[in-house]
Amino acid sequence: MRWAWLFLLVGCAGLRVVPLPPEAERHRPKTKDGWELSLVRYRPQGPVTGRPVLLCHGISANERNMDLDERHSMARWFASQGREAWTMSLRATGDSDRPDPAKGRTLPIFFDDYWQHDLPTAIAYVRSVTGAEAIDYAGHSMGGMIAYAYLSQGGGGLHAVATLGAPTRLDWGTGLEALLSRLGPKVVASPDVLLPSQLGAGLAAPFMTVVRDGPFQRFFYNPESTDPSTWQRLVVYGTADTAGGTARQLLTLISTGRFTSKDGTLDFRADMARIRTPVLVVAGKLDRVALTPAVMDGYRALGGPRRWLLITRANGALGEYGHMDLVIGERAPDEVFRPVLDFFNQHDRL
Amino acid sequence: MTSFAAVALLVLAAPVEVQVSHRRVTAGDGAALAVYRYQRPGVVTSLPPVVLVPDVGFSRAAYDFEGRGLARWLSAAGRLVYVVELRGQGKSGPGLALEPMAMIDLPAVLDALKLEQVDLVVHGWVGSLVLAAHGQGARVRRVVALNTPMLAAPPSTLASAFLADGGRFSTLASSPSGARTFHELFALWAELPERTEQAFLATGTRDLSRPVAAELLAWMNTGDRPLAGRSVVARLSEARVPTLLLLGLADGFAPPEQCAVLRERMAGPVEVHAFSRAEGGEDFSHLSMLLGRDAPKKVFPRVGAFLGEVAP
Repeated sequence: MRWAWLFLLVGCAGLRVVPLPPEAERHRPKTKDGWELSLVRYRPQGPVTGRPVLLCHGISANERNMDLDERHSMARWFASQGREAWTMSLRATGDSDRPDPAKGRTLPIFFDDYWQHDLPTAIAYVRSVTGAEAIDYAGHSMGGMIAYAYLSQGGGGLHAVATLGAPTRLDWGTGLEALLSRLGPKVVASPDVLLPSQLGAGLAAPFMTVVRDGPFQRFFYNPESTDPSTWQRLVVYGTADTAGGTARQLLTLISTGRFTSKDGTLDFRADMARIRTPVLVVAGKLDRVALTPAVMDGYRALGGPRRWLLITRANGALGEYGHMDLVIGERAPDEVFRPVLDFFNQHDRL
Repeated sequence: MTSFAAVALLVLAAPVEVQVSHRRVTAGDGAALAVYRYQRPGVVTSLPPVVLVPDVGFSRAAYDFEGRGLARWLSAAGRLVYVVELRGQGKSGPGLALEPMAMIDLPAVLDALKLEQVDLVVHGWVGSLVLAAHGQGARVRRVVALNTPMLAAPPSTLASAFLADGGRFSTLASSPSGARTFHELFALWAELPERTEQAFLATGTRDLSRPVAAELLAWMNTGDRPLAGRSVVARLSEARVPTLLLLGLADGFAPPEQCAVLRERMAGPVEVHAFSRAEGGEDFSHLSMLLGRDAPKKVFPRVGAFLGEVAP
């Protein structure tokens, strides 16, 4: 029993929310359907080198994914390179509005709400505040999928885009898919719920640094690229509850292999052929959430200028990358953020 | 699948006797080809023989290394198995071009052995050529494609450098940096029995000829290549034979993202299964898909189940 307490104590040692720095400016634009979104702005350090960049997280996550702390922050890194950087939290995540039926903010929340309301609101707001005609965008995982859906339906205001570990189909015959297909509809019995993934992550957090090769490492990140204590911090304050409607909509990527709107009338993947915005598609070789074939599927669907970037030792990285390493990896600034910035800069000059 | 899991346990627990014999076949243009036959004594099956074809630079050892591998596993499961080394592989004659491997060698072996119909297990880039060449005909009943690319592109700068240097496995075996190259391309995150990686590199591989390495790199760089008057992509698109495509996430030489499109583009039915550590086992590299510790538990039963029932 004494050992168990010691175990837990060691695990809890890193459980601390690192606050945002003083230079982080908080903004709260409101969507047309009444949700205030949390946006954080970092002004560029030194001379401005290009357009503002908007950064968006994935499912069950919030804005701190792109801005975990001083060393692990895509936002602050971009600002250090002369780019104004903005992070955003999608509705019902991070510091964005929670559902409140009395104020008209009701469940369910679907994936469609993100690309139809949240992303357009954030883009319009950043453009209006900065005066930029168009901005650059980087989205991790579902944050990349939101950009695909938005652009495929004619969304504007984005000059160049980078997607990091963003899949467009999830039917690869894995045992995990079979499990999710079977259990998913039971766990998400109704779209009108927020699944308590934040609570679950909080309960699991103390154990994140004591288990070295557990399911989290196997599924989400590679300890050779992300220190377990970094991952633990992400779990503590970078996670969010999962909208049941979104989860159900994304389950269709497993059950049907199709990337569509909730009602199935919009085929985002097919419509991605209409995208003319330059897109850099980044994949981690050992991403076990968005398998490289799933990410390549999105790359192939794009109709405009595009580039494929596989992060792996065989291409010069110093370690292999899993799903979360792409945004919180210890070497991500050099191995991921730098190529993303180079891509944006290249298209800025065109 | 249950019966195949039982076979896996049986093979692991007590190796089943498998008789192995070797013969040479001479192709129409005079190329000498090595063929190995695996048969479990006393077992007769109505199912067609299974022909296993290694990838470029690999030999029979890919399917039978130090007494373990898919050849013996399938044979123990009751199938008659042949491992065919095409020109440039293993103990076959020299290979100076890719096309004859698929267009001349395989038909020559099937003719010499009088095999009317076979099941094929193919691997990597040679697998793509063989499937492109023979995926339309009636002579092949079913195909298991182990990381066989349809989107040809350089998998990485390291892979390009390896091929630009002539695809010389022997030089990889002679230095620590070479061993690292082999590891990253062929055995990334692999869970192999002790010393298998080094031993396979030393004895299970063979240098590509300069022309073959150049052809393979050109194929990757251009995205397609001619094959018997058509292109590989065009031929793969017309392939109709039922295919099981197995994808190893950690394959650095024939990456899964370049293979998966086969399901979408091939005319015939393609069943896909991608492996990753997230569901237990390993991510499976080019080598460990065949010789990894988990291959007999995770990979082989899927191959066996797809190709047919266990003989009594």
